[in-house]
Amino acid sequence: MSRLVAELPAPTDERPVRVGRRRRGRQERLAYLILLPALGTVFVIVTIPFIVVLIQSVTADDGSFLGLRNFTRALANPLFYEALRATGVYALIVLPSEIVLGLGFALLVHRTVRRAGLRATLYVLAVLPLVVPPVAIGVVARLIYAPGYGVLNIILERLGLIHQEIQWLSNPTLAMLSVASVDVWQWTPFVYLVLFAGLQTVPRESVEAAQVDGAGWWTQFRYIELFYLRPLFLLILFFRLADVLRVFDHVYILTGGGPGTTTQLLSLYLYRTEFKFFDTGQAAALAVVVLVSISILYSLITRVLPLERA
Amino acid sequence: MKRARTPVTLLRIAIALLGLGIAALLYAFPLYWLVVTSLKTKSELFAATIHLLPHNATIEPYVSVLIDRGFWVLLKNSIIVCFFTVVVTIVVGLIITYPITRLAVPVRLRVGVLNWALSLRFLPPIAVVIPYFAIVRTLQIYDQPIALIGIYSLFNLPFAIWMLKGFLTEIPLELEDAAMVDGANRWTSFLRVLLPLAAPGIMAAGIIVFTFSWSEFLFALILTATPNAQTFPVGVQGLVTQFEIIWNDMAAAGVIAMAIPLALMVIARKYVVAGLTFGVIREK
Repeated sequence: MSRLVAELPAPTDERPVRVGRRRRGRQERLAYLILLPALGTVFVIVTIPFIVVLIQSVTADDGSFLGLRNFTRALANPLFYEALRATGVYALIVLPSEIVLGLGFALLVHRTVRRAGLRATLYVLAVLPLVVPPVAIGVVARLIYAPGYGVLNIILERLGLIHQEIQWLSNPTLAMLSVASVDVWQWTPFVYLVLFAGLQTVPRESVEAAQVDGAGWWTQFRYIELFYLRPLFLLILFFRLADVLRVFDHVYILTGGGPGTTTQLLSLYLYRTEFKFFDTGQAAALAVVVLVSISILYSLITRVLPLERA
Repeated sequence: MKRARTPVTLLRIAIALLGLGIAALLYAFPLYWLVVTSLKTKSELFAATIHLLPHNATIEPYVSVLIDRGFWVLLKNSIIVCFFTVVVTIVVGLIITYPITRLAVPVRLRVGVLNWALSLRFLPPIAVVIPYFAIVRTLQIYDQPIALIGIYSLFNLPFAIWMLKGFLTEIPLELEDAAMVDGANRWTSFLRVLLPLAAPGIMAAGIIVFTFSWSEFLFALILTATPNAQTFPVGVQGLVTQFEIIWNDMAAAGVIAMAIPLALMVIARKYVVAGLTFGVIREK
């Protein structure tokens, strides 16, 4: 049975391809010959939208120059801060829940499941949610939470726990929790997979040595396993943060940003500004603000990211 | 080694089983409910009691979604868009990864390309949706599959580059060298030696790009307007927001939207996590 492992890069400056200097020159030229047209094209395609959005952000619809007026309008809009707040709350709910639950399962399976076949089954089960389209999960969530036909209320009623419908999607707090639960359902398995793979890299000798010394499961986790998992937490945070900033689909389907603006995450707010209020200037200014903030965030976070680059 | 089961260990096993049981329920119930709902008859929608177990199962909702509502056209659009996205992404991905993995290039160039691809992964689509909308309208490819193919290819390129880089570095350089010593030129040795060896990896990358494009919703929502180019997720969304009351059709559409990526994933399951983590987590 193949097993899932975390491969963290060893610091190395070894060149991947070793050839004589003469051949190197020739190969390098060929490399540039292949790379430049492709990279150039992709670079232009990536960069044009940035330029367009910059232009859009400082002009009116008729093309006249507005200076920074769109930016002051965008930043003075209280809806922007509500969207920021909603995004923050969303991240603060889903990231810790996913990490705690994922870690819990990773430890549980690592300690208790020894059968390779069962581990392989759990692997497949954990992979499946990752590829389910968020739109489809949005549908599932509607079938569960929606008023009238939502099955959660029906189950709770049958169990005699409630006598009146709970308004999952129109109570501000519950709506946020409902939306977040979808994220947790889909992405906890990802955290589980990464951390479980990380646990496989912990050297058995150090664990056994600790056990001989009488370390309980907590000590074993706190002083040995956590050390090996630490870079993986960074990795999870990086990818999950990138995803949280782009969450759109399931929220759009489940609540559409409501009730009011409670679940109107940044992406939904931007969408509404452009495609519901047709305020391209303000939306473009927002997009520029988001792009700049994300670039800063990105450059901070990649410095500590344990990815193999060489 | 058999340990005596003390009450404490028994308690621990009980807690573990309980935890796993709850997790299994929370994991499986939503999917179960989606499938059960998709098999309900129309009359059951308005019945007083809702059956939690399958009851008079029918495929009527699937027929209604695909034929009566004409969603098979959207399914066709999705397949076309995803297929061409895969082709473009893999070809461009190979053009970019071949030189940095198989040729002697400065480490800086290699690292630069990979970092740049990684930074694209962090780019939120919503931030570029507004300029893309303007560009697509200017180019007059609004509501046409080609607009989606171009954008999906771009956004999937980071995954393709990192996955292909992983697969290509694993193939020994000597194999290609040997072919070239025997008189093959670089192109033939790429075509006859490298490509067949890398085929399983390329296939896996292709499947992953396919499923990601299949799931994409935001760009499809904004850049299409009619069944001419609308993809399946856009149709599903329309069912939810316009005909919400017909929730068995909604569920059937959800099942169809899920079925294809799930089926593909069973084939490429070994590579999903490697793809999502840019190669940090991989199967050994």
